[in-house]
Amino acid sequence: MEKIRIELTVNGKQHDLLVAPNRTLAQTLREDLRLTGTKQGCEVGDCGSCTVLLDDVPVNSCLVLAVQAAGRRVTTIEGLAQGNELHPIQEAMIQHGAIQCGFCTPGMILSAKALLDRNPDPDAGEIKDALSGNLCRCTGYQKIVEAVQDAAAKMGRD
Amino acid sequence: MLLPRFEYHQPASLDEAVEVLGQYAGEAAVLAGGTDLLVNMKHQAMAPSHLVSLAGVEGLDQASADGGRVTVGPLMSAAVLAQSEFIAANAGALALGAAVLGSPQVRTRATVGGNVCNARPAADMSVPLLALGARAVLTGPDGQRQVDLEEFFVGPGQTVRAPGELLSALEMDAPAPGTGWGYQKLGLRKALEISLVNVAAALSLEDDGKTIKAARVALGAVAPTPILAPGAAEVLVGQAAGGDVFKAAGQKAAADAKPIDDHRGSAWYRREMVAVLTARALNQAWARAQGQ
Repeated sequence: MEKIRIELTVNGKQHDLLVAPNRTLAQTLREDLRLTGTKQGCEVGDCGSCTVLLDDVPVNSCLVLAVQAAGRRVTTIEGLAQGNELHPIQEAMIQHGAIQCGFCTPGMILSAKALLDRNPDPDAGEIKDALSGNLCRCTGYQKIVEAVQDAAAKMGRD
Repeated sequence: MLLPRFEYHQPASLDEAVEVLGQYAGEAAVLAGGTDLLVNMKHQAMAPSHLVSLAGVEGLDQASADGGRVTVGPLMSAAVLAQSEFIAANAGALALGAAVLGSPQVRTRATVGGNVCNARPAADMSVPLLALGARAVLTGPDGQRQVDLEEFFVGPGQTVRAPGELLSALEMDAPAPGTGWGYQKLGLRKALEISLVNVAAALSLEDDGKTIKAARVALGAVAPTPILAPGAAEVLVGQAAGGDVFKAAGQKAAADAKPIDDHRGSAWYRREMVAVLTARALNQAWARAQGQ
């Protein structure tokens, strides 16, 4: 199995990597780049824990080969905060108590970011649709939806 | 869950892709979005020793209209199809099906070509394409051939595509004026769902805006492949569109369905739902055909 050289821009930083073809983007992010904020849950595209943005659209990184991401831009949860300042969605998730175990949170936030970047003022139905590929097994989704609504309002004011 | 080992190929043209595929025919799988293939490989249901990615082949992710013919590129993703105004206007049923496939993250990757070639009986894009009268364009070492989609599907996961052939395009006739489409998906949840029953309908009206000129109804999850309901189309053509005739078409579609009992639902329930969903899909298509 011949390894393949790829360039990957992750959170604005360019990486030159040598990857086996059967390595997923999720594995590469977590194990090669040590960006463990991306979680692996079901690993077959059902749970959304491994959601990252690939050229600004949400994908399950467990179902993308690292070689398929060659030359493209990846945004992970580590890329959202500016220094010590959290992204407004991260801030709102904390304030609304929308995090329990936290395992779904990175994927949830990236799906929410993809939504707010293209639709700054979504209604609750649009938020639920956008988060429908991210499963939370702790409780429910009400606080998460409220957090995204609140973040949208705050981002609109800034 | 680790992927088994394989060699990766990324040909830069359709010819090269066909060549690589021919070289490893039988041991190679075509990689498009990967949302089915990689899952099957992780579950060890498939172990191709070569993956041929189509990502480097230009032009497979575009749709176009030319001389009464609409072409849909096999690498177009469900997300792109669901949001495309061109698809909504020229192959609306496909946009409706693409919009409810999987989840947002799956839709950004899953391609229409993959959905068709995987040949699942409930496939959210295959059933609409059948209602649209689509044809699969297959490119192989001996050139191109066209297969009507109703002859393309052979059984669950099985098609007439030879191991050395690629689905290079999906084609259909451009819609006549006064055409509308409907798509109805019944599942137990709203996302990440494989349909219990899904129905797609295409309806074209005569110039009078009432009489049905042509109709096609396609059914999913009620046979080993997506199927057409010819009985439903037959009762519709020549009649004035409306609730009663749609209901009658629903009954005919239920008779055309060949459902089985499985963990998702019983054959009896599925047949009942075919009748209901067919009438709903036709109502939806009718509203659109009238420009609503």
